[in-house]
Amino acid sequence: MSSARGHVDAHSTRWIAAILGIIIALLVLPPVWYLFQGSLFEITPTGAVGEFTFEHYRRLLEGERLATSAVNSFVFAIGSAVVALLFGGVLAWIVERTNAPFKVLAYLTTIISLGTPYVLYVTAWLFLLGKVGPVNDLYRWLTGANDVLINVHSMTGMVLVEGMLWSPLVFLLLSATLRTSNPEFEEAARMSGASVWDTIRRITIRLALPAVMALVLLVFIRAFEGFEVPALVGLPGRVNVLTTDIFLALKDTVPPDAGRASAFSVVLLCVVAVLLAFYNRISKSAERFHTVTGKGFRARPFDLGAGRWIAGVIIIANFLFVLVLPNLVLLWASVLPFFQAVRWKAVGLFTLENYKAVINSPFYLELVWNTLILAAASATIVMVLTLVVGWLAVRRKPGGWLLDQMATMPLIFPGIVLGTAVMQIYLAVPIPIYGTIWIILIAYVIRYLPYGMRYGYSGMLQIHRELEEAAGMSGAGNLVILRRIVLPLLAPAVASGWLFIFLLASRVLSLPILLAGPDSQTIAVAMYDMWTNGQGTELAAMGLLWTLIMTVIASGFYFLSRRSGAGVYGN
Amino acid sequence: MLAVEGLTKLYANATDAIAGGIRDAEFRLEPGTFFTLLGPSGCGKTTTLRCIAGLEKPDSGIVRLGDRILFDGAAGMSVPMNRRDIGMVFQSYAIWPHMTVFENVAFPLQVSKDVRYGAADIAARVQKALETVNLGGYGNRPATRLSGGEQQRVALARAIVREPQLLLLDEPLSNLDAHLREEMRVELKRLQRQTGITTVYVTHDQAEALSMSDRIAVIEKGRIVQMDTPEGIYYRPKTRFVAGFVGVTNMARGTAEAAASAGAAVAVRIETGEQIFCQAVGSIGASASVAVSIRPESVRLEKDDGAAPDTPAGETVLRGRVDQASFQGQSRRYDVQIAGWRLMVLADPQVRLSPGDEVRVRLSLRDTIALADGNE
Repeated sequence: MSSARGHVDAHSTRWIAAILGIIIALLVLPPVWYLFQGSLFEITPTGAVGEFTFEHYRRLLEGERLATSAVNSFVFAIGSAVVALLFGGVLAWIVERTNAPFKVLAYLTTIISLGTPYVLYVTAWLFLLGKVGPVNDLYRWLTGANDVLINVHSMTGMVLVEGMLWSPLVFLLLSATLRTSNPEFEEAARMSGASVWDTIRRITIRLALPAVMALVLLVFIRAFEGFEVPALVGLPGRVNVLTTDIFLALKDTVPPDAGRASAFSVVLLCVVAVLLAFYNRISKSAERFHTVTGKGFRARPFDLGAGRWIAGVIIIANFLFVLVLPNLVLLWASVLPFFQAVRWKAVGLFTLENYKAVINSPFYLELVWNTLILAAASATIVMVLTLVVGWLAVRRKPGGWLLDQMATMPLIFPGIVLGTAVMQIYLAVPIPIYGTIWIILIAYVIRYLPYGMRYGYSGMLQIHRELEEAAGMSGAGNLVILRRIVLPLLAPAVASGWLFIFLLASRVLSLPILLAGPDSQTIAVAMYDMWTNGQGTELAAMGLLWTLIMTVIASGFYFLSRRSGAGVYGN
Repeated sequence: MLAVEGLTKLYANATDAIAGGIRDAEFRLEPGTFFTLLGPSGCGKTTTLRCIAGLEKPDSGIVRLGDRILFDGAAGMSVPMNRRDIGMVFQSYAIWPHMTVFENVAFPLQVSKDVRYGAADIAARVQKALETVNLGGYGNRPATRLSGGEQQRVALARAIVREPQLLLLDEPLSNLDAHLREEMRVELKRLQRQTGITTVYVTHDQAEALSMSDRIAVIEKGRIVQMDTPEGIYYRPKTRFVAGFVGVTNMARGTAEAAASAGAAVAVRIETGEQIFCQAVGSIGASASVAVSIRPESVRLEKDDGAAPDTPAGETVLRGRVDQASFQGQSRRYDVQIAGWRLMVLADPQVRLSPGDEVRVRLSLRDTIALADGNE
């Protein structure tokens, strides 16, 4: 009799794996299939599949459009990676490894920028660097010239804005690496007689190099597949990249040219897949240097002497440029009926109309509601799925490996590509969810599965296998082990994974912009529309209020992830 | 009673070659036995333990506990680990960090399906188990606030709280510092005597095995090479491996001068020329090549005064010179040079010799063993 129960238990894991396998396969595989099909077949406007053709690719190669966009994409991505690394990297080293003052400002900047929607951030920079923005205004005032110092709707503007956008992430990831690396390497160099500068040059930088390279590549990939900056900054200046080309093929062409968009998407998909494979190799070698000692001591910071005040100025400059100036200019814009140069006489026009309009409008309330529900629902679904997949994969249960691979696969989809694919699927499949928030939810779940896996899988790795085996030997079955041992131990990892996905989903633009219908708008989409409709000041008011809410949630994420990073279970 | 028959579990490496595991393990333990699986790391001792526990599925064999069959490869039946009613202490202790000491120990009673325990009953049993391991007042402590030794005791209490028929211990002392390890050795032995639970203990430490066990199985490369009492393993090792792994020994190669049956005396000419009288382990053919094992503490040294020594029958007396001497507390270690041969001797501290002293070396027949080469 007792053996019969055991078979039930073994079967239960197999059932769980099978059901999860079907769900994840249904989510992940169709987008790939539809993209390739869309790029290789004639698809009629009703969604019927016609003849096999290379026409879409041929048209793509015609003229210089593809080449120009591809070159632009690369230049844009490389430039942004360099800018982000310069700002974020220097800051990370100063904060983690020196005795510079004002360190808390760097963390504050990072936390708040984690909660700011990209669209809002980009518009803030457009205000700042625009024709009548304070930067060009100041330039004209100082030189008496009539032109502009910088034309923001150019490649330079795109690189600058995208680089600033990613510098907080570089700071966050690099400071984590610096924090956990073994200080004994540096101390040994100092004891061998090396100066501070020699130690930095020959030990610190060399050891951090793989991690830094991995980060550069990560930002490169993100910028390469990024949509917000190319759309808001690049398009008005006619600087096109691959992602905006896809967008234009679908939104600016009547009827939408799905074949062209699919062909563009397949090209983008392949490039990103190659880059990701490369990234995985680099980050693996980066981990070898990432030696965590169990001793729990922290590196003694370098004494910069008088130089610490220069370092302090860098921290303050970062605080000003990444946090204060963008938000100040938003504040300025939000109390004006229309955007104006920063002048005393504009103060007379100050009004709270924008805020009133935002707070009193049921439309905005619905936006907030849609966005929060979508973010919360996708985060919950993803974490539930990846928690179990992580357990199956780490404990090498049947099917675990395959499930892990499938759940990680969507990483190759740039947001705009996934949007294109999901759109085509639900135009063709007779399930009436196109234009509702359900289709956005599905897209979010696909998009964020890999992020959930990162938390679920690495969280599981931290739980010593014997903790579960001890429960099994104590008489507990699989479900009891999951509920009473795995789940409580994994709670911090699951919670920070949930918040991370929630934050990403609440500010993403590239997915919902293709999928949202009139009743399923999200904050990011609405902000984009407002900006293109010239409602910049109302956008500023709404954005500031929204940032306030998200900052609270982002702080929760930040402190949770710091805490769970410190706790190691079962040694 | 635990009975294991023909237990086999082999692991293949990437190229399908066999990379560890256990073959044909076979033993039968009377109730209350303290049984130790001893061997170097990777020999298959932990695999054997995990097969008994149900954490690994054996390739073949039978595991029986009392009148219950836990695993039968031929019949294709296997009781899952959570239904085996076996207590186990893991190498890492596996104390759940999100529970208190009480909750850790109460867990096996709370999840029990065969017997339902009431809250009061659970509290009483947990209290009793904690007192058994001398952690009486520790119930409300969070598990994260325990020292290594305390974690070990909690793990032990959790393993015995259900009063299982069998207790499995997987290198439980290897994570403790030397002093605590000595203490826990005595403590574990006392606890096992007190509870009378049949215990299977896995270790690579021969001192632990010798001091705690009723019976020891020495495992080499996936096979049990000798199973005996601690004295049997130490004084009558069956193979060169056992002689070398358990305790320290002097080893020499040589040739048997005559045939001998198991246990009989045999004269052996070792490679450096000396003739030594040994006890044969297993039967030995004439002119067979053999290995001679001499425990360093069984050698007696006396100053060589040049007079002809008395030689009792069967005893070997050799002449040598002390090369190095060192005081080790309980004993003195001498390295004695005998012609081309170097012999390590652990002598009583009262015996005082200096480097350069000429000595007579006495080897008793009982403690000098000849192993036929086939027994490697």
